[in-house]
Amino acid sequence: MRLGLVVDLDKCVGCNACAIACKQWNTSGTSGSLTDYRPYGPDPSGVFFNRIRHYETGNYPENKTVHFPMSCMHCEDAACVTVCPTGASYKREEDGIVLVDPEKCMGCNYCAWACPYGARELDREEGIMKKCTLCVDRIYDENLPKSERKPACVMTCPTTARYFGDFDDPESEVSVVSRKREGQELFPELGYKPVNKYLSPRNKVEIDQHDVVEPDLVRKVKDWVNKVVEL
Amino acid sequence: MHPAFSVIFFTVTSGAGYGLIALLCLFNFLYFGMLFDKTNFLIFSGVSVALFTMGLISSTFHLANPKNAWRAFMRFRTSWLAREGLLAILFYPTLFLYLILVYFDFYKDYFLLMQLYSIYIFFFAIVIIYCTGMIYACLKTIPQWNTIWTPINYITIGVYLGSLIFFLLLSINEYNINPYKPILLIVISLAFITKFSYYLSIKGPRHGIGQATNAAIKLKDTNVRLLDVGHTGGTFLTDEFGYNVAERKLSKIKWFSIFSGFFVPFFLIYTYSYLFDNIVLCIFAVVLSFIGMIAERWLFFAQAKHVVNLYHGSQQC
Amino acid sequence: MATKQDKIVFHSDKFSKNASKLPKFENHDKQSHKHTTCYMCACRCGIKVTLENNKIRYIQGTPTHPVNKGVLCAKGNAGIMKQISPARLRQPLLRKPGSERGTSEFIPISWDEALDMLTERLKKIRETDPKKLAFFTGRDQMQALTGLWAQQFGTINWAAHGGFCSVNMAAAGLYTTGFSFWEFGDPDWEKTKYFMLWGVAEDHASNPIKIGINRLKERGGKFVAINPVRTGYQAVADEWVPIKPGTDAMLALSLVHVLLKNELFDWEFLVRYTNAHYLVVDTPRKKGDGLFYRNKDGVPQSWDLEKESTVNATDSKIKPALLGNYVTEDGTPVKTVFTIMTERYLDKEYSPEMASKICGVPAKQIERIARELAHVAFKETIEVKTEWTDWTGRKHDKFIGRPVSMHAMRGISAHSNGFQACRSIHFLQVLLGSVDCPGGHLAKPPYPKHVAPPIKPGKNVVPGQPLESFPLGFPQEPEDLAIDDDGNPLRIDKAYSWEAPIANHGLMHMAITNAVAGDPYEIDTMIFFMANMAWNSTMNTSKIRESLCAKKKNGEYKIPFLVVCDAFDSETVGYADLVLPDTTYLERYDTISILDRPISEPHAVCDSIRSPVLEPDRDVRPWQTVLVELASRLKFPAFTKDDGERKFKDYKDFIINFEKAPGIGFLAGWRGENGENSLRGKPNPKQWEKYIENKCFFQYEIADSHKYFRGANKGYLEFAKKVGFNASSDPIIIELYSEKLQKFKLAGMGLYDGPQPKRERDQFRISRFFDPLPSYYIPLEHRCTFSQKFPFYAITQRPMFMYHSWDSQNAWLRQLQAHNYMHMNKAKAEELGIKDLSWVWVESNTGKIKVQVKLMEGVQSDTLWTWNAIGKQKGKWGLEDDANESTKGFLLNHLINEHLPCADTGSPITNSDPITGQAAWYDLKVNIYPAAENEQFGVYPNFEKANKAPGIPETSDILRYNTKKPVRLSRSLRDILTKGGFE
Repeated sequence: MRLGLVVDLDKCVGCNACAIACKQWNTSGTSGSLTDYRPYGPDPSGVFFNRIRHYETGNYPENKTVHFPMSCMHCEDAACVTVCPTGASYKREEDGIVLVDPEKCMGCNYCAWACPYGARELDREEGIMKKCTLCVDRIYDENLPKSERKPACVMTCPTTARYFGDFDDPESEVSVVSRKREGQELFPELGYKPVNKYLSPRNKVEIDQHDVVEPDLVRKVKDWVNKVVEL
Repeated sequence: MHPAFSVIFFTVTSGAGYGLIALLCLFNFLYFGMLFDKTNFLIFSGVSVALFTMGLISSTFHLANPKNAWRAFMRFRTSWLAREGLLAILFYPTLFLYLILVYFDFYKDYFLLMQLYSIYIFFFAIVIIYCTGMIYACLKTIPQWNTIWTPINYITIGVYLGSLIFFLLLSINEYNINPYKPILLIVISLAFITKFSYYLSIKGPRHGIGQATNAAIKLKDTNVRLLDVGHTGGTFLTDEFGYNVAERKLSKIKWFSIFSGFFVPFFLIYTYSYLFDNIVLCIFAVVLSFIGMIAERWLFFAQAKHVVNLYHGSQQC
Repeated sequence: MATKQDKIVFHSDKFSKNASKLPKFENHDKQSHKHTTCYMCACRCGIKVTLENNKIRYIQGTPTHPVNKGVLCAKGNAGIMKQISPARLRQPLLRKPGSERGTSEFIPISWDEALDMLTERLKKIRETDPKKLAFFTGRDQMQALTGLWAQQFGTINWAAHGGFCSVNMAAAGLYTTGFSFWEFGDPDWEKTKYFMLWGVAEDHASNPIKIGINRLKERGGKFVAINPVRTGYQAVADEWVPIKPGTDAMLALSLVHVLLKNELFDWEFLVRYTNAHYLVVDTPRKKGDGLFYRNKDGVPQSWDLEKESTVNATDSKIKPALLGNYVTEDGTPVKTVFTIMTERYLDKEYSPEMASKICGVPAKQIERIARELAHVAFKETIEVKTEWTDWTGRKHDKFIGRPVSMHAMRGISAHSNGFQACRSIHFLQVLLGSVDCPGGHLAKPPYPKHVAPPIKPGKNVVPGQPLESFPLGFPQEPEDLAIDDDGNPLRIDKAYSWEAPIANHGLMHMAITNAVAGDPYEIDTMIFFMANMAWNSTMNTSKIRESLCAKKKNGEYKIPFLVVCDAFDSETVGYADLVLPDTTYLERYDTISILDRPISEPHAVCDSIRSPVLEPDRDVRPWQTVLVELASRLKFPAFTKDDGERKFKDYKDFIINFEKAPGIGFLAGWRGENGENSLRGKPNPKQWEKYIENKCFFQYEIADSHKYFRGANKGYLEFAKKVGFNASSDPIIIELYSEKLQKFKLAGMGLYDGPQPKRERDQFRISRFFDPLPSYYIPLEHRCTFSQKFPFYAITQRPMFMYHSWDSQNAWLRQLQAHNYMHMNKAKAEELGIKDLSWVWVESNTGKIKVQVKLMEGVQSDTLWTWNAIGKQKGKWGLEDDANESTKGFLLNHLINEHLPCADTGSPITNSDPITGQAAWYDLKVNIYPAAENEQFGVYPNFEKANKAPGIPETSDILRYNTKKPVRLSRSLRDILTKGGFE
């Protein structure tokens, strides 16, 4: 299996639901706690596995805003795993999820250096590198209803801008949707083969507006006077 | 990248240490026997061991979870850091055996074996420095590091610092330094030339925000800019990768490191060698070269722009 | 509607194979689940809370819930951090004797002491002059209860926060189509093909809009966003229209102009469902002008084209003229409503060219959007094959749908022309025939209601007696105003006076100012619930904070007693004389009632409850429980048996047994003694249990034949009457022309037989703004502000992850936004030499603030904007002294005056919509200029540090929330040593 996410940039409204759902699930999950620093003080910060950035393209008034969620891409050729000296970082053979074994991590940050996507964050309190697990502690939990065996971010996304599934399975939702909408990889030229795909904003919807106006037929108001419509 | 002193210290001292031991063994090889008397050789080797050991210990200071540091060599199959760690660990018994053999005068009885052993240690030490360089050079995410010049620099600078110490030790112990004078000057020049080539090679950005996002945004307009990074305090990512120094300061430090690290030592060694025989000049050269190389290494980090910055507002890196 | 969870996730066999190899991460035996309703904002999504070790493991959306269909926003997901917020109040507090108000010096007292003290005080007020109690509630969701409480107390001075939130939207809808946006109606997300989002500042509603945008996009519909700022929802719009703030009415009416000009409107719809064909008396400057021409029974008349005479406009089978001037049998000159509309909107005043100058939107774009709307409405018509009967008895075999829909909110409502702007948007919908039709804008039961709902505001204050009806209602004519014989306001906020005649939600933003000024009279006690009136929920914050502490000559406070009920240590708590600590939403029972602000979906009647998930760990009580207790102690008739004993044991008992009308109570589900009835039935003693069993919500599907055209749908109208939504089953006629407004206008002109304003200022305002057809007028503050001096509009938005929430103290959400910037158009800033991230002064008629500026493309070039309510006072909300909220965060409120800055108005007059009293806080005009070199850090104004309320703990630098020791997943040594490599 090759598990991963598809993020639809055409639907993401930048609400951060996925980021906070991730935080909520994972702080009591297998990677927990996700430490927060200065939670009530200056420059509050903390460990997040999923962050949403916001970009602009074009110049006013032809500009567009794009909300851009990013988490681990679970690369097929994950540089973070390659560089990890202790073997704490690994890519599961069964499903391709890239994980960190917290018992083995020495907190050298090297994997974070190797990752172009900013997917890894050090938990300074534990001294351990943490990252998106694709909610490995949800997706296989047979005590959850089938419909809930999804990553927390996907479950919660109010605009359904996130999809989860097996890219090896051509019939899975992620395969279908990324085929249909030409799912894109970030930084393909680095060669890490990110599994997660992004769906680009759609082209503007064009609506015909000529069939409703026939200049010759523009009527004078007085022509309407005797039009009969039964009540 | 955030320049962590522990890592700067590690790369500079371990490079010098491995450089020194490499030279000691290389000259044994070239000299067809012990260049120094046994005691001095062991002392000089001790200096080298002290240097790279200090470096290695220092490198663990930047670990957030040092209790697992012992695991660092486990993934030698893929990780340059593990390779460096593993080789550094293996180097100790290898070198100690060599030193024991030296102590027991094996050079006399087993000349060929010792010649081979000497050149073996030389390569071993150079390979370790190469691995250290490759720790950085293998990262495609940091274009300023991802160049062949990085391991070359690590080696030339390690050898350069090692040779300065070597030269100093020769001088202090009143060996005939004449044959080494031109060699040292060549080594300094070589270190400078390779470093300068590095600086030339990293000029100009290699990645743009377009690569980072445009594949996904794919709008006709490629003019993407950050609007909001999504958090008002810092994050691990901005702390670790957001290190930003003004171009002017970088340039100043660059010239300082070149002067202090290459030009002045070259001038001092030249003066000491051919014009004014005073050991103080040589000591100064060593001290300045270390200061210069620490600055060089600081610059190596400070100039490095991780591509994740493209997501945080940099247009290029 | 398909819920999100219905989608099949492909879980191949491989999943179970892998699962067997993994450790058991979650100990489900140690976990329990409880459903309840979210309260992180006002959307009221269903949530399922997983508990573990008596802590919250996880909060997720309830998949079957009608509001959120399983999804949950960032706020909902951050509920844990609200539950553990250090800012939670711990016990009732009394201002320390001898200390000054506003210093946050308190002594803890017991609930018995607090309630005894309050009961005694309220009893005295109730027996002497009940209006001396002013009771204003903030973002609460229990106005049916608080309103009942106020009515039973007998005070006229009650309102919730709608006066500064969205009364313009509610009022415009209820005076036009009988329903409105958000809680009143939604786009038909399942069928709509063209969606226009007007002025949504990332606000109402949260998840429903997001779910809807997804549905629209899946079908490839077009999404047009009209908004000066392009963030949030506007980002994913297919077309962004950067309009100048406060000019939306002009844009909408210009679209109307283009539609009319090209005969692009739904003739049948206008005749059948609206009053477009009604005859209006045309006798300018005479009494009776502009009123409907009625027969002697008072029935409005139309001109029948076949009979060539007047006929009852509401009779079936007539063939009314839509257009034309006539003279009636009695010689009265009349013209149809539609005639007046065409005269008004076909005028070049509303041409795209003129609109372009006002709105800043190119004329071509206006023209094109109008045509696109028409194309979708008329060329992409959809049909839903279902038999239904209209009110005339005519049978139809299908519903015809015009799949154009709209949603509008804050950016329309918070202007002083917002009522008419919102009506203009409804006009657009009506012309396109996209009201309550498939693909259009659908009503949500109990809406639509008759225009306007037949509830008049109570106004007869009698000591010791309840008010004759709820304090808030819907005036239909000047007689319904709450004014005395001299025309002076009866209410402390001057709602329903000539200043704001149809102020259906009151004017909470004026309550403090007026009470302190003793204008129209002095009060004794003011109660605030869940409203941060000393900070971000008020205009002119600094002045209001001073006012709250103002004293009379005798040393008594001008507001003698201030009670604040809140769950958190807000800025306003600091000003209280008595603090009643509320619970969090996870610790209480609540009802989200159809009698109140319903959560219905267009095709389902819904309500819900909250049921406690956790026991409070503090000495706090839910406010509704306290209200029932006070009501019982004060022996309100509705809460007292004939023998004088209390009628209801507690809040739960009250909800079960209180009946508004026979069979109608707060909860509509599982009524009847055994829970056998829906919507109407006898009280059910096990009703709460039934809700809890059913995930805390109730949903009643509307019959297919009742789903559309409900204002004219006979079956639905009869159903609505039966279950008590409407008093009659008469058709609900859409009022394009508002005779009700015209009556006020005539009063303003001195042509009305009834109350008329006496002050010249009121006469002008009433006659100018009470236009029976919507018109665009320049927002009031803009009219009296020199645009050379204050050339910029300044508005706010609330970030989606904080919209309608109280969560600047939320440890997770504040990481996203701990301080705010003033955003500005990049090119414009460069023109003015303002640099990105520099500090600037922003100045208005009222004051100035120093803030940091951030440049962007996505903002209309004459507009500045910032995130609202991020700035906090040092010391409050459990935050540390150097928290960004107080060092860099700021409020725009300091620049906004609660009075209009106009010199020509004589005495101060509220800065509100002249029709509804909606606070016009988006009307702000400002100037911006760089701060000096030595001023390049720190916000102004900067308030002194406030004391924390007793019991608020010091906070730690590290937070590591979890509910259990994590079950880790490990990698084997063998795998480490053998896997891959050497490539």
